[in-house]
This record gives sequence, C-alpha cells and structure tokens, in this order.
Amino acid sequence: MVCKKVFGMLTAAAVLFCSCTLGESSKKSGQLFAMDTYMTFTAWGENAQAGIDAASGRIVSLEKLLSVTDSGSEVFRADHSGGKAVDVSPETAWLASFAVGMNTITEGALDITLYPVLSEWGFTAEEYKVPDADRLSELLRNTGAQKISVSGNKLTVPEGMMIDFGAVAKGYAARLAAEDMKAAGVEAAVLDLGGNVQTVGRKPDGSDWKIGIRDPAGEGIIGTLSVGECAVVTSGGYERCFTSGGKTYHHILDPATGCPAESGLVSVTVIGEKGEYCDALSTALFVLGADKARELWKKLGDFEYAALTDKNELILSKGISESFTPDESHSSLKVTVAE
Amino acid sequence: MIRSQKFWICVCAAVFALSLIWCAAVLLAPHGDSVRISQDGRVLYTLDLSKEKDRRIEVEYQGRKNIIEIKDGRIRMLEADCPDHVCIHTGWLSSDIPIVCLPNRLVIEFAGSDLDAAVG
Repeated sequence: MVCKKVFGMLTAAAVLFCSCTLGESSKKSGQLFAMDTYMTFTAWGENAQAGIDAASGRIVSLEKLLSVTDSGSEVFRADHSGGKAVDVSPETAWLASFAVGMNTITEGALDITLYPVLSEWGFTAEEYKVPDADRLSELLRNTGAQKISVSGNKLTVPEGMMIDFGAVAKGYAARLAAEDMKAAGVEAAVLDLGGNVQTVGRKPDGSDWKIGIRDPAGEGIIGTLSVGECAVVTSGGYERCFTSGGKTYHHILDPATGCPAESGLVSVTVIGEKGEYCDALSTALFVLGADKARELWKKLGDFEYAALTDKNELILSKGISESFTPDESHSSLKVTVAE
Repeated sequence: MIRSQKFWICVCAAVFALSLIWCAAVLLAPHGDSVRISQDGRVLYTLDLSKEKDRRIEVEYQGRKNIIEIKDGRIRMLEADCPDHVCIHTGWLSSDIPIVCLPNRLVIEFAGSDLDAAVG
C-alpha cells in the first residue's frame, strides 16, 4: 500500500521533471537559403533531424525544377521553348495545371503569366521604372494563364509568353516539405519559408501554434493567429516596392491592367489546409480587394483570411475571428468580422 | 515501518519541489534579449542585448560587407553593400521577425521567441 503511494508520487514527480525538459531538448531546427528567401524549419521528437533533412532536400530539388531564372529548370525550358510542348516532371505539370485552375477560380486575379510585365517594371532585376501605357498594353497581349496547356507531363507555354511560379511555388514547396517531414516520422513541426508558413500537427505541449502577422508599416507584428495544423500565407505590397514621382509602386500586379493592384488592401493572410492554395489565394485576394475577397471566401468556403486595409482596419473572416490576438502595439486596431 | 514511510514521503516531496523549481526556471528563463547572428547557417555571435555595450560589428561575405549596429540595447543592420537593402529597411530588430540580408546570407534574430513563426 505504502509502496504504491510512494511509487505513484515518484512517478508523478519524474513526469513533471521530464515534461519540462523534453519539449525543448528534442527540438531541432534548420535554416536554408532557397527560392530567393530565408527559410527555417523547426521540428520536435526523435525523428526531427531526419524530417528537417527531408524537407530541405525537397525544397532544393523543387527549386531546381521551378526557378524562372535557372537555365537548367523545367520552367525555364518551357518559357524558352518557342511555343513547343516540353516534357516536365509530375510536380511541375501538377503545379502548372493547379495555377491555371486557380486563374479560373479567382476570375483572373491570379495569373502566372505576368513575368514579362513584372520585368518591364524592373521588379525582377531591381532596376525599377514606370512603363508607359502603350508598352503595357502590348505586353498584356501575351499574358493569360488560360493560354497555357498541360497534358499529362507535357507543358506548353505559347511563344512570346512566360510563366513563373512566384505566387505559388513557396506554398507548394512548404506543403510537400511538410508531407516529407510527416513521412520521416515527425509529428510536430513548423516550416517557415520566408513568411510562407506550414505547420505539422500540434505543438508538443498540446497548445496551438502562434503565428505573427507582420505590420506592413512598422518593425513588429500587428497580432498573432493561434492555429492547428495548416498553412498560413501572407501577400503584401510592402515586400517589394519602389517610389517614383512621389508614388509608391509595389510588385503585386493586377493582371487586368499590368499595374500594381490598387484594391485598398495592404496585406492579405490566408489560412487553409494546403500551402499552394493559400499562397495563390493570398495574392488573388490582394488583387481583388475587400468586397470581392469576401465574396470568394463565401463561395469557396474552404479557407479563412485576414485582410489589412489602407485605412488600418483588419478584416477577419468569421472562422478565425476568435483566433486572432492584436499585438500590444496595435491595441487600437479596428477589427471587423466578415460573415 | 512508519519511519520509512515518512522518509519516503520526504524524498518524494523533495523531488517534487525540485521539479517545480526546475520547471519554473525553464519556463520563466529570460529569453527576450538573446540575439543570434548567423551567416549561411553558421552562428557567428550569440549576444545578450541587455548586457551589450554600444558597438558595431563588421561581417564579410564573399568580399561584400555588412555593418551591424548595437545601440541602447537594440540591434539593426546599419550598412550593407547589397543591391536591395531590405535588411537595412527592416530597421531595429523587433518581436519575432528576423533581419535578413539575402545576398550576403546574413541573419539577425532573437534566439528565443514566443512566436512559432511570422508571415508577411
């Protein structure tokens, strides 16, 4: 009887002792510079290192397929094929047909064929200029994701057109890397691909992941989202922009005009199951603006979003309105809920 | 028998109390001011900003140079000879968003963080 009690107490003490140390000691992290960004991976448990290695390997190999500038990539070959069909890997073919599908779903707001327009603005080489209207309308004639065709593993980009996966590649890479982590036996991890976040499972202590949303205007965050296993992706014009003649031009172009989207939104965060879907939608909602974003959210019903307007108002979709906590520095932030 | 029981209860209580103290130490340890500077995944410096004197740190990467400034317990990228200067525009290191100089693969970040990640 006494023995039992003693044993029970000792066990309880041991569990308490271990629970505080285990969480941190089994934590591993890794960093990677890839896809033009800084990535960090954090994983817990005995398979953490194997998971991180698998995730890093996946991202490096995807970058080799999807880079728009690397002359050895599949995307580069398709872009410079003179309009011929090119054999590509299943990953590239899948992502191309996914992106064409998202162009339909978003009624053209997401378009992966804007690279020549982006170059004209100087966003690709960081030598910025404001193109004249004639040049833009000329370039826009050779855009439109619906002109891209994918058949099996054959990808065709018409002559004079170019695709780039800048709006979907990181989200896609994050999702596949997270799947590789799970396959390696990791049950808790967070992958941060330069602000393109994918979580695996729950935190080892059972609590939600805390994901900060960057303040477009300042140094910190506007607040945090508490989430379970999901993808969280933000698009914001402030990431890459330049000023000319007193006006600021950012890199998220409206496919209809070829000019930086002026929808009244400064940052859009999308929360959902799959990285590439959230990545594509964050760009599309940014282009669409608050009203159409809400309509699309209601229509699709399979994601949540947080949109910050240029009037410093944060719009939260109903499903995550309880998950957001404003940062102390933004306690006066006006928050509305989209229903 | 009674003595032995008391003895074991005392042992348990002691282990229990030690555990509590240990937990408190782990959970409440100050981690907000510890900053890590790394290049290409290699940690160059780990600094406690609350104890650092104002100073500048020069870091080279393939012939290019970054200058990091520590002032009044804060840290920022002061100069960088990269084309985009994103790292300089990030300003002082705050909350949980790292300062990253992509061309020179230099990262300044808090070593411990309340957040798991940040988007945007």
